Amino acid sequence: MTARTGIGLLLGLCLGLSVVRGDFSCGTLASKKTPITFWNGFTGPDGRVMLEMIRDFNRENPDVEVTMQRIPWALYYNKVMVSGLDGRGPDVFVIHASALTRMQRAGVLAPMDSLFESAIPADDFDPYVVEQTKFEGKRYCVPLDIHPQGMFLNKDMLRAAGLSAAPKNREEFLRAAKVMKSSETFGFALTAWQNNFMSLLPQFDGHYMGADGKVDLDCPGNVEALEFLGSLKSKYDLIPPPDNQLGWVGYRQKKVGMVWDGIYMLGDLLRLEGMNYAGAPIPVIGKHAGTLADSHTLCFRPGMGATQREASERFVKYLSANSLRWAGAGQVPARRSVRETPEFKKMQVQAAFAEQIPTMMYFPRIPVLFEMGIEVNLAVEKVIRGRATAKEALKIADENTQMAMDRDAEQHKKVVTP
Amino acid sequence: MKKLLWVVMLLVAFAFIFPIVMMFFTSFKAEGEVLNPASVVPKLWTSENYRNVLEWSEEAPFGRWLLNSVFVSSSVTLLVLTLSSMAAFAITRLKVKGGGAFLGAVVFSMMVPGQLFLVPVYFILSKLHWLDTPAALIVPATAGGFGVFMLSQFMRAVPSAVEEAALIDGCSPAQVFINVTLPLCAPALATLGVLTFIGSWNDYVSPLVYMDSVRNYTLPVGIAMYQASYYTEYGRTLATSVLASIPLLIVFLVFQKQIVESMASSGLKD
Amino acid sequence: MTWKKRQQLTGYLFLAPYALSFLVFLVLPILVALVLSVMQFDLTATEQIKFIGTQNFTDAWKDDYVKQAMIATARYVLLFVPSLLVLSLAMAVGLNAVKKGRNVFRGMIFLPGIFTIAVTAILWQFFYNLEFGFFNWVIKQFGGTAVPWLSEKSLAMPSIVLMSLWWLSGGTAVILLASLQQIPTMYHEAAALDGAGSWKTFSKITMPLIKPVLLFTVLTNTIGAFQMFPQASLLTQGGPELSTRGTVQYIYEIAFQQYRLGYAAAISWMLTAVIMVFGIVQFIAMRRNSAQ
Repeated sequence: MTARTGIGLLLGLCLGLSVVRGDFSCGTLASKKTPITFWNGFTGPDGRVMLEMIRDFNRENPDVEVTMQRIPWALYYNKVMVSGLDGRGPDVFVIHASALTRMQRAGVLAPMDSLFESAIPADDFDPYVVEQTKFEGKRYCVPLDIHPQGMFLNKDMLRAAGLSAAPKNREEFLRAAKVMKSSETFGFALTAWQNNFMSLLPQFDGHYMGADGKVDLDCPGNVEALEFLGSLKSKYDLIPPPDNQLGWVGYRQKKVGMVWDGIYMLGDLLRLEGMNYAGAPIPVIGKHAGTLADSHTLCFRPGMGATQREASERFVKYLSANSLRWAGAGQVPARRSVRETPEFKKMQVQAAFAEQIPTMMYFPRIPVLFEMGIEVNLAVEKVIRGRATAKEALKIADENTQMAMDRDAEQHKKVVTP
Repeated sequence: MKKLLWVVMLLVAFAFIFPIVMMFFTSFKAEGEVLNPASVVPKLWTSENYRNVLEWSEEAPFGRWLLNSVFVSSSVTLLVLTLSSMAAFAITRLKVKGGGAFLGAVVFSMMVPGQLFLVPVYFILSKLHWLDTPAALIVPATAGGFGVFMLSQFMRAVPSAVEEAALIDGCSPAQVFINVTLPLCAPALATLGVLTFIGSWNDYVSPLVYMDSVRNYTLPVGIAMYQASYYTEYGRTLATSVLASIPLLIVFLVFQKQIVESMASSGLKD
Repeated sequence: MTWKKRQQLTGYLFLAPYALSFLVFLVLPILVALVLSVMQFDLTATEQIKFIGTQNFTDAWKDDYVKQAMIATARYVLLFVPSLLVLSLAMAVGLNAVKKGRNVFRGMIFLPGIFTIAVTAILWQFFYNLEFGFFNWVIKQFGGTAVPWLSEKSLAMPSIVLMSLWWLSGGTAVILLASLQQIPTMYHEAAALDGAGSWKTFSKITMPLIKPVLLFTVLTNTIGAFQMFPQASLLTQGGPELSTRGTVQYIYEIAFQQYRLGYAAAISWMLTAVIMVFGIVQFIAMRRNSAQ
């Protein structure tokens, strides 16, 4: 290959590809349709259902063209935030209710009160869920679903161990974990450490923030909850050592009988063949029932024109009204009327997880939730590995989170003009 | 002794390609066999993983990512070759005033680690409104000093009598540059080209930070993203890995000698 | 305009495109990084941007996570660079000694370098997986128990290093081989005539002759190793217990997950200072060596 052919080849590639990529579009005909960009993190089969819903919406609304982009959640928030701040953000996008604080403060969300007055009946949502959409009296999102943490069971393993029903309390749970454990299998395994721990908080009357507005991660209820998780390894020796993503993968491979995870993981099971699974509420380990939950909510970017805003509202209304279809992708709809339908009640896992809605607890509404998540995860990992007691680990998490809170408050002090 | 050494080298070389062979074999196993391997070679060959990936091309637009990768890497290579050789020509042949000092600054800048540029370049690209466009991956990549340094060294080592004579005879510098200097530097250009292309092809951090739209990703980030969504399905992620690696693998097999020798000579610049 | 002047002018025209790119994407970023590092600059609180002097640096100095990330980075550098050097030098010497099939072997060793890091990480995750990874499958075939390659604190970093060696050592071996091949054979013949053993020949003749290339290799790989990011972020996500989260990964998280650009710039400068110290020491060693 001579240098000249090499350079020629490169030049050809660059020019040819830039044409194929469409970098130099030759004045495409201005389309009459209102374009809406819609971003979310539904990268699994749930995204395919969403895609089909969008196709139908586009068909029923010939004047609108919704295009969807999916990015895994881990990367998603960076992208929504920085592109939103830079003015390149999507028109409509999904965020978790727990992420609302940070996003709203950064100014990448538009108020949506008008939508609740016209298209979305606010009284069709649980009051707790509606409360989570508000900031200083304004609503900033429409909840699409609620995703509580619950228990996934392998029915075959349960039956083989001589158990007929999902464990409902601490004794039944420990017994089930024990009888399903063998040299090849585990009765129970941890999944996302942070979520597993937080699912138990409401059960032990734990909390994130004290009455004084300070972080209170090492309160007695939290310590008790974490001690229980730690005892699964140290005292009962029922669970495998923590390893990245092993709990869920093991469950999926029929080597783990029970796991706690979000309803959104159901999508991963729906595409599996020959897996006899079931859903159930998290057993009552503490004083009473309870679990961790969050919501996928729909948001608008600020500064949309009237036509685009109208089309976006129509789109959100469509998704909300058709959330039974969304439930089929492995989700629990936020609309109560949808959860009342016989079709939804027939969805075993979704309906079982939905039972927990009255006792669920959302993440704290603090801007440093990301930082807190890392701290809590680390605390759970230390305890399971036996490197610290629950009290010690949570105390460190508490101090570091409070430090992040203080720093954040300092950096976001409201500018008071005299 | 010679025989033994040969066998040892064979084993070492085999150890290096074994993971690649393994990836290829495993991508043809059904999910069940991936998780419970009975042998290295599939007991039952299946194209299920590939069909799964390709059927939902909208989910993982491989073609698009591949196109982006080829486009970005070739553009970077072309620009780096052009800009560096022009600069080196100006410094060593046209002997511009201050050229030596400039080259010194360029060499010094090579000492500054790339991680320092991550945040500031993001900031600059945002001001230029280049984020999420291919320009964000192409233009900043031309600033690195290695090419200018390497080509200047090379040109200094090659006698410039012909070029000087041509210049005095009234040829324009552009003519001399294209007809004399560039052909003279062909080996150095090839080395620089190969190094630049592989470097750009494997760049993970810039597209991760500077691109937002899935359709603008290049292969490294696209693959990593796909894996994040399908980490539970190993056969499928390995099939994507095979698909993503095939183009460069073919290029490598065809131009093996040139590529490896270009790499080899990169350490021998002085 | 004289001929000389015109040539100078054309020269600047030739230099201009690169010089522009150099100024905008190399010099300007350094200035921006300097400015950012003394500012409180949170992307999500742009109304609060202000000059805070050295506070970012004092904060970083006190930040335990910076310390932890620096330690992780240092562990990676200390494990990776020496083992890379030994392995690739051994392979280069071996390749130099064999005649038959040398080019094929060389190609095979170099091959992993063309895979992108994402593919490399997927592949090695498959090898390292605790339950169904290939390594543990082999171990179990021989009756052993599964090894937690990526989830045990003491093993995770060596596992990352092993993957990096597979990925990068071929390129280094190829470079070293080329420098070995440049040694005129008469040196070795002379040594053989003097009755020097092969180890003596290697240490007294070969090593000094390839020392410049060796130092160059160490320099570039050390600088590269200090900036390790995707290897760990894709293979272990920085775990277990954040023990493999390197400094660049932490900088990325601070900048693009917490949006604190000023603080991220300050940590970048600290890492740069460490790298520069190493770079300058090695650079001086190279100078001294080539002066001899």
